[in-house]
Amino acid sequence: MPKVTINDRTVEVPVGTNVIEAGLLVGVQIPHYCYHPRLSVVGQCRMCLVEVEMGGRKMPKLQAACSTQVEKDGMVVRTDTPEVKEAVKGMMEFLLINHPLDCPICDQAGECGLQDYSFKHGVAFSRFQFEDKRTYPGRERIPLGANVVLNMNRCIQCTRCVRFTNEIAKTGELGFFNRGARTEIGTFPGKELSNPLATCVVDVCPVGALTSTRFRFAERVFYLEKKPSLCTGCEVGCNVTIEHRRGNIKRYKPRANPEVNDYWMCDYGRASFERYKTVPRLTAPRLRGEGGRSVPVSWKEALDAAYKKLRGVDDGFARSGSAPAEGAIAILGSGFLTTEEAHLFAELADRLGTPHRAVAVDLGPEWHIPNLKGGITGREAAPNRRGAELAGLVPGASGMNAKDLLEGDGAARCALLVVADSDFGKAAWDEATVARLRQARTLIVFGWADSPLAKAADLALPLATHAEKTGSFVNVEGRVQRFTPAFPPPGLVRPGVEVLSELLARFDASLSGLTPEEVFAHLAEDVPAFAGLALADLPATGAPLHP
Amino acid sequence: MPSFEPVLTRNVGRKEALTLAGYKQLGGYEGLAKALKMDPDAVIEEVKKSGLRGRGGAGFAAGMKWSFIPDRKNKDKARYLVCNADESEPGTFKDRLLMENDPHQLIEGCAICCWAVQAETCYIYIRGEYTKSAAILEQALQEARDAGILGGSAMDSGFKLDMWLHRGAGAYICGEETGMLESLEGKRGQPRVKPPFPAVVGAFGAPTVINNVETLCNVPHILIRGADWFKSIGTDEKNTGPKLYAISGHVERPGTYEYPIGISFREMLDGCGGMWKGGTLKAFIPGGASAPMLPASSIDIKMDFDTVAKAGSMLGSAAVIVMDDQTCLVRAAARLAKFFNHESCGQCTPCREGTNWMELLLSRIEHGEGRPGDPDLLMAVSGNVGGNSLCALGDAAIGPVRSLIKTFRPEVDRHIAEHGCPFPERRFFAEGA
Repeated sequence: MPKVTINDRTVEVPVGTNVIEAGLLVGVQIPHYCYHPRLSVVGQCRMCLVEVEMGGRKMPKLQAACSTQVEKDGMVVRTDTPEVKEAVKGMMEFLLINHPLDCPICDQAGECGLQDYSFKHGVAFSRFQFEDKRTYPGRERIPLGANVVLNMNRCIQCTRCVRFTNEIAKTGELGFFNRGARTEIGTFPGKELSNPLATCVVDVCPVGALTSTRFRFAERVFYLEKKPSLCTGCEVGCNVTIEHRRGNIKRYKPRANPEVNDYWMCDYGRASFERYKTVPRLTAPRLRGEGGRSVPVSWKEALDAAYKKLRGVDDGFARSGSAPAEGAIAILGSGFLTTEEAHLFAELADRLGTPHRAVAVDLGPEWHIPNLKGGITGREAAPNRRGAELAGLVPGASGMNAKDLLEGDGAARCALLVVADSDFGKAAWDEATVARLRQARTLIVFGWADSPLAKAADLALPLATHAEKTGSFVNVEGRVQRFTPAFPPPGLVRPGVEVLSELLARFDASLSGLTPEEVFAHLAEDVPAFAGLALADLPATGAPLHP
Repeated sequence: MPSFEPVLTRNVGRKEALTLAGYKQLGGYEGLAKALKMDPDAVIEEVKKSGLRGRGGAGFAAGMKWSFIPDRKNKDKARYLVCNADESEPGTFKDRLLMENDPHQLIEGCAICCWAVQAETCYIYIRGEYTKSAAILEQALQEARDAGILGGSAMDSGFKLDMWLHRGAGAYICGEETGMLESLEGKRGQPRVKPPFPAVVGAFGAPTVINNVETLCNVPHILIRGADWFKSIGTDEKNTGPKLYAISGHVERPGTYEYPIGISFREMLDGCGGMWKGGTLKAFIPGGASAPMLPASSIDIKMDFDTVAKAGSMLGSAAVIVMDDQTCLVRAAARLAKFFNHESCGQCTPCREGTNWMELLLSRIEHGEGRPGDPDLLMAVSGNVGGNSLCALGDAAIGPVRSLIKTFRPEVDRHIAEHGCPFPERRFFAEGA
């Protein structure tokens, strides 16, 4: 592989690596706007100008680092000469002369390429003092589609958005119109930016020209706390950054993972957090007591009651290992459980000796997320059906499956039904299904949402959302990915692993105080697909499970 | 000046040259016939030896450009010749003369080039506004097709060649070679990042030669009369052959004149009847709108590529714009800046923003609102455009501006000090000039 020297630091790179990427390998940041690692190189913004010396001969002009590729040994690049600094300063000035000074009302302020590079490479004073700034009257807030708004005044004509629609989304709604200083971005006549990945153009836009309809004016970005996590919209498992303010999620942004979602995610996934805000939350354990009224209780009371119900004490039959004659015990899991939670539910099922365990998931709309290997398509509307099943939530011999419980008379045959997630799918909100599940003599519901199902339960236990807990999901391609809490759960809500571990401790004291890492370690011992993996050591891109 | 027998313009004014038969009678297509009997590489060698340099502006050696086409013997690979007839530089009107008066000379030149690089398709990308040239060329192409020169086996040599006329839609930037290729492919006309150069990845992804009309018109004559004859014309080894000069501005008889390359500007001025109404020379642009202006003191300059370049300007397309002492150079530069601002494609930052800023500054100075710091600011802005833009348009746009400040600074300062233009408005067309 050829060697390239950038600012006296030498690195070996594959043939064809461009100088911006090579610079990153040795810790030299070359400023750029139009360059994006997944889009074609156009060399338009001219911010990445560098001095290039090849075979001892200096090139007469400064070269754009994005379009300069390392082909053979002997390339010497400098980004710190006076000429380069002067040129970058000049480009910064050009970009700013016609840029509006509306940072105080611009959504991008705080994560704006112009702000960052102005600070780093710009000049504090403007020489563009006596001319009028160019504006695009009437084009300050053009909805390009349902999810994206264009403010042409702020655009720096980098064409990243145009290239995104052409090359990644392959829908080509956007184009470059007019020319010279009047150049503008827009949708072609009669088209609107409505592809499933549309909001990605907001991410690739280095300035505030393209903003997300959903996020517009929702929060100043510098007040946001950002935590890495996963999207739960479907089974692709897009890596996201949860951006929240004091536990109030404001947006999801895609987090680069070349093995899964690359730099992209779909608009549906971006909106998936809104469920956490619009759906009423189960905030305290709730037990149906005398007279059939549900009342909030403490966790100790709730877990004692759960243990009693599981052991059949309330029902007047004593559990002794085999299924009671009076009815079955069933555990209905969910594709939203973490693999660890699912494993503890499976453990519970083992302790109760029941084969009736299953995972319920909805089929959702189909989403395709492109990546370097072609992309991943998600069809199920839950992130972890595979993980939950691998962790043990599959019907045993003659066990009831999810369909028996949700559509058949399975629940009516149950003395006890445990639903692991009060929002496992649309059925949790469907009166008929809830009534059917309610036919179980005793109904225990875990979960974060105060759904009709939770309301119907004899005992409802509030669990953390995925933004509030540690765990792992296994995506459609069998890749296990880890996530950690973005913020703590509210009120009395607790993470599932903590709750289940405390409940299981009533069966076996050695199971008290389990952490997700410990549960995962058990899983790695029990299930061959997870063998050798450890939750805390999973790589940032996730790990493929053993086939 | 020594008498010079016109080469490129020898058929200008002869109506018979417009037809294939007439052109053949005048000795046409002999160069192609000769070339087709030669080895393609030998044709390239001959052109290389002649020292022919591109007449479009950059002055790159034509034979060298052809030899950059890789893998020329491979019959399975597509190669293209694109003839650049998008003549839109202000002041340039030499290619139009050749196309309107001697279309077959161009077709013959294109055909020889195609043979040399073994390209089976040639596109002539013509400026959209050139309707007359397009009609004449289209007719000539049809005749050549009917005569079997195009569309099948060229002159029964077995070389399959086709040639198409493609009309542009009126953008100066499509005269930039990669902008032209984009436009030819049906895309928005804006230059591409180089490298890869068109010789490697050009039209439709295939190796492509791009030459100017005048360059290609020289080729048949080189083949017929030989490289040594061609080299005998001109200043030196590097500046050879006949050259068309499009002379406009304050001269008595503006028009396109053919001279050996390297004729002095003074001789050229005499040749077109001297200054208009006996005026005094103040400045001239030697090579089209993008060439820096030269002062009257450069009157004895030899008009060839290297001498003009040494004087700080460029021969470019050899469009000579002459300005007398009643001309406001600030207004002239402002007008040129306006042109480049209008024609910038808008994709790269320095050109998009810089040309706009330069126009605003210059028109402000011209309208009496200039400030003392403006000339320096103009130099700084143009300095940031030059060399930093994606294509050569940025470099072109700063030519007139920088030369105005460098060479004619007192005139600019006078505009600023007097808060207005010291020169009277002149309306040439009203006077019938």
